[in-house]
Amino acid sequence: MTTTPVASAAPLTDGADPAATPTTASMGRRPRRPSASLASMGQRTFTGGLALLFLFPMLWAAVSSVSPQGGTAQTDGYGFANYETLANYQAGIGQYLLNSTIVSVLTVLLTVGVSLLGGYAFARFQFPGKNLLFLGTLAILMVPYATLLIPLYVLLNDLGMQNSLVGLALVLTMFQLPFATFMMRISFEAVPKELEEAALVDGCGSFTALVRVLLPAVRPGLITVGIFAFLAAWNDFITPLILISDSTKVPLPLAVANLRGQTMGIVDYGATEAGVVVLALPCVLIFLLLQRHYVRGFMSGALKG
Amino acid sequence: MAAVTFAQTTQRYPGSDRPAVDGLDLEIADGEFLVLVGPSGCGKSTSLRMLAGLEDVTEGSILIGGRDVTDLPPKDRDIAMVFQNYALYPHMTVGQNMGFALKIAGMDKAEISRRVADAAEILDLTEYLDRKPKALSGGQRQRVAMGRAIVRNPQVFLMDEPLSNLDAKLRVQTRTQIASLQRRLGVTTVYVTHDQVEAMTMGDRVAVLKDGVLQQVGTARELYDHPDNAFVAGFIGSPAMNLLPARVEGGEVVVGGLPIPLPAGVQASGEVLLGMRPEAVWPADAPTGLAVEIDVVEEIGADAFVYGRPQHATDQKTPFVVRVPGRGVPRAGQTLHLDVDPRQVHLFDPASGLRLG
Repeated sequence: MTTTPVASAAPLTDGADPAATPTTASMGRRPRRPSASLASMGQRTFTGGLALLFLFPMLWAAVSSVSPQGGTAQTDGYGFANYETLANYQAGIGQYLLNSTIVSVLTVLLTVGVSLLGGYAFARFQFPGKNLLFLGTLAILMVPYATLLIPLYVLLNDLGMQNSLVGLALVLTMFQLPFATFMMRISFEAVPKELEEAALVDGCGSFTALVRVLLPAVRPGLITVGIFAFLAAWNDFITPLILISDSTKVPLPLAVANLRGQTMGIVDYGATEAGVVVLALPCVLIFLLLQRHYVRGFMSGALKG
Repeated sequence: MAAVTFAQTTQRYPGSDRPAVDGLDLEIADGEFLVLVGPSGCGKSTSLRMLAGLEDVTEGSILIGGRDVTDLPPKDRDIAMVFQNYALYPHMTVGQNMGFALKIAGMDKAEISRRVADAAEILDLTEYLDRKPKALSGGQRQRVAMGRAIVRNPQVFLMDEPLSNLDAKLRVQTRTQIASLQRRLGVTTVYVTHDQVEAMTMGDRVAVLKDGVLQQVGTARELYDHPDNAFVAGFIGSPAMNLLPARVEGGEVVVGGLPIPLPAGVQASGEVLLGMRPEAVWPADAPTGLAVEIDVVEEIGADAFVYGRPQHATDQKTPFVVRVPGRGVPRAGQTLHLDVDPRQVHLFDPASGLRLG
């Protein structure tokens, strides 16, 4: 393939000639007015600056977790001594990670399952008191979170689920459900009714139609709901603080907080920063993996719903 | 393949005082192509959806092949449906869309792919089998929707305005394709449309509905030549039949001073509604006939349609239409004197709209 100035007309399929790329790129840019590129540069600087601003605490925590500092395990040179402190703290970080994972996965499963069925019912069925029930569900969002915890503590105690990870997951799910049900209702309403009817005519029952045809159609919404539930459950501090009394059953955020005040009021900042990094990593990973669907979930709600 | 029977089928939406479909009695023969037609809100789609099982039947029953399916869910009726917006499953490829019903039915994979390949061949979709619906044009999507129906080899095809999302040219093409495909497969088909041209050209028989009530069933020719009432007369035919108030006096019906002999076998007296198709009237040689002032002339090539107002009834809301040969077309503003073919006039009762004679 020889590169001529008209190479842009030929599709750049194989990229065999690297010279072709800059030629086409500069040709593509040429018609742009200087003010437009200036504006785009300004936009990039602004958004880039914002990104840095938000990333800064994260980076700072990551850097200081491996930096030398008095009063921490890492006293000279850069290294991972703070992570060792964290790993060996009380029941061991493995236990706390496991606790957090159990609670988060349970919360995600329960939230996704219940909001899927609830959203479907709200979107598709007509029943008396439907709007009132929906408003009631949303109204949970208006009640300050902390005020509900004491009654919930009493309730879980009566159920024998106080100081249990399952009980904790149930409470966290409850706080997720208003938004999740709302999100799933919008997602289902954006799906044409005919899609479901086509499935019914094609031989599905209601449940098969939901699983095989509607589920794929509302997947972006489900993923959004799932990410929200995961982030909320993984990062939550106050709910386990109230509900979990056994120090080996606490999830990671609480363990990190305990670690922070461990010896006579002297704060081990290094180990704390290490804990922050370990806490943040799964969230960042999950978000990066599912980001595409997450954005689409919002778009479908905003534009079609 | 099977016959379909609607027996006094009624559907009433909760909270609505008027039924959407009121006592529908209709027999559709095995292998027949029946078109349900009518203006929006006439109950044609509701009738089809009741047959599909997507809408509850309030009273009466529906039979497919002699089996009462009134209370059966859609999946137990052995029907296939083509929706107006096609309702293709967006996450499946064309092939998976077409094979979905067979997969649900538990058919083995080799048989599914053989049937899908056959249907794709018929519908010229073979090269698109691995594409997702969003990568197809409107016409291709429509064909996939058809394909999804025909791979099933069901007892009845149901089609709910399947052509209304296509552009005009493609619609005419697809119209013929669907009609010939149906003849070839011989599957009983119920087809809903609001377009009376589709109704006339596609079906073996046409059923006209209005306000949930069946007005008339018959071949396109019967409906055109012998409309049972003024509504069918006005609905079937394009442009529509001219309907004018007239008087019967001594064996003649008089409109705008023009006496027309009563058609044979018609007993009528007093006020009537006189129907004349645009081709049943033509410009008279002498200035004696029904006088019409011309508002607009539409040239369509071989013929032209002249739209005007009869001089004796200028308050008439719908224009009076005359079909004239394409050569020597009169101009807007002129007054046209018309002769009427007495064999081609229709008389209706002005109160009930029913045909007289």
